[in-house]
Amino acid sequence: MRRVLPAVLFAAALIGLWQLAAELKLINPIFFPSPGRTFGELYMQVTSGRLWQPLGATALRMLYGWLLACGLGIALGAAIGSSRTAREYLEPLLDFLRPLPASAIIPVAILFLGLSPAMSTAVIAFGSLWPVLLAAVHGLKNTEPQLVELCETLEMRRSQVLAKVALPGALPDILSGVRVSLAIALILAVVTEMQASLPGLGQNILLAQRSFRSPELYAGIVVLGIMGFLVNNGLLLAERRLLRWRSAAV
Amino acid sequence: MIAARPVGVSFGSRQVLADVSFDVPSGQFLCIIGPSGCGKTTLLRVLAGLIAPTSGEVTADGKAVRGPARSRAIVFQDYTKALLPWRTVAGNVALGLEACRVAEPQKSRRIEELLSKMGLGHCAGQYPAQLSGGMQQRVQIARALGQDPQLLLMDEPFGALDAITRQGLQDEVARIAAEQKTTVVFITHDLEEAIYLGDQVIVLAAAPGTGAGRIAERITVEIPRPRSQLETREDPRFLAYRHRLFGLLKH
Repeated sequence: MRRVLPAVLFAAALIGLWQLAAELKLINPIFFPSPGRTFGELYMQVTSGRLWQPLGATALRMLYGWLLACGLGIALGAAIGSSRTAREYLEPLLDFLRPLPASAIIPVAILFLGLSPAMSTAVIAFGSLWPVLLAAVHGLKNTEPQLVELCETLEMRRSQVLAKVALPGALPDILSGVRVSLAIALILAVVTEMQASLPGLGQNILLAQRSFRSPELYAGIVVLGIMGFLVNNGLLLAERRLLRWRSAAV
Repeated sequence: MIAARPVGVSFGSRQVLADVSFDVPSGQFLCIIGPSGCGKTTLLRVLAGLIAPTSGEVTADGKAVRGPARSRAIVFQDYTKALLPWRTVAGNVALGLEACRVAEPQKSRRIEELLSKMGLGHCAGQYPAQLSGGMQQRVQIARALGQDPQLLLMDEPFGALDAITRQGLQDEVARIAAEQKTTVVFITHDLEEAIYLGDQVIVLAAAPGTGAGRIAERITVEIPRPRSQLETREDPRFLAYRHRLFGLLKH
């Protein structure tokens, strides 16, 4: 508890500054509502239940795209990290695709998939694929050579080596990649909603801005912040559980 | 029986081993000793089948060794890189049994047996990082024994351990090798360890000029077993062997 206290105090101080800036009307209140109005709006959305539908829509969008990215990233990473042939075929192509901004492929995705949830999932999966993929490749390439020799003397099949030695060994890398991917997935969920008018928090924020409902706009941003914070910490918690052997030192 | 019929190994133009021949009858304990960089580990890897010799061949019971096999287990020197840190002690021992497709309930029984044989029963649920170096090396040995090897290859297994732990493990390896009648090839850079453990000791040395490792001397250790850390090391024969080999290990 004592460890979170400084962070809470600092956040409270920032909100205080925000309140002060709003009171003094340093910025036009049409663009810059006070924290009171922002949190009041948020409270209203929670009590009236208006918040849950867009929140759920955005969360699911993020989740689907992210899960697809994780599955693809780990599978491709396992192939590239453990087979030279796969590496020779795939790596140059992936190095070409990787720096492409995911937002640049939104128009292509819209052409093929329309303004649909499938388009959004595809874009999110594309954008959040890279951190998992690179982490998986890196983790698998760095499999301890002595363990590889051990597997050879045990005459283990390739699939056994992957499942029992290489992937568990790469898990710390993969999990940190997975966490970065989730953050990107949230960003792209919001971006695709804004671009393609898909229902969700992103669309709500955009609509609130266009009609100058600034408390609603800020409330939306606060919700996104909380959401990102919670999923990241949820993953950190899962990571600590999965990697508890690491903290098991003497 | 394991036999090396003039084994030579070159990496590119660099010759690492030249003309190394020996026989290890079944159940015998062979120690290979030599200064760093004389090709000891390379020789062990050739015996394991991890490296193919450039010339000559290694045979196990008359059949040429063409690759690694479960019948030849390795205990690596660096235990920190030879165990799965995410598996418990029991889980690490299980790996060998899983590879050999030992099914439950035999698997659990076998794990228990191996752990108690190596004095690890009380730490079955601990992770390697929670154990001392000596205990981690015991886990490696237990895992190796789990694959029921005909040949146990040990690469300076006690090199990183303190003297007291090392002596305890020497006696245990000697006891287990005798009990299981396993053939052991044991690499070390500790002369006394080699004489204490071996039925046969081979000294490798770099040949002047090429630098390739070759056999400089071999002795048969005729000190009866079981040996004792105190008396064996004071035995005049022990001292005579030590005297004879000592000069070969100096540069």
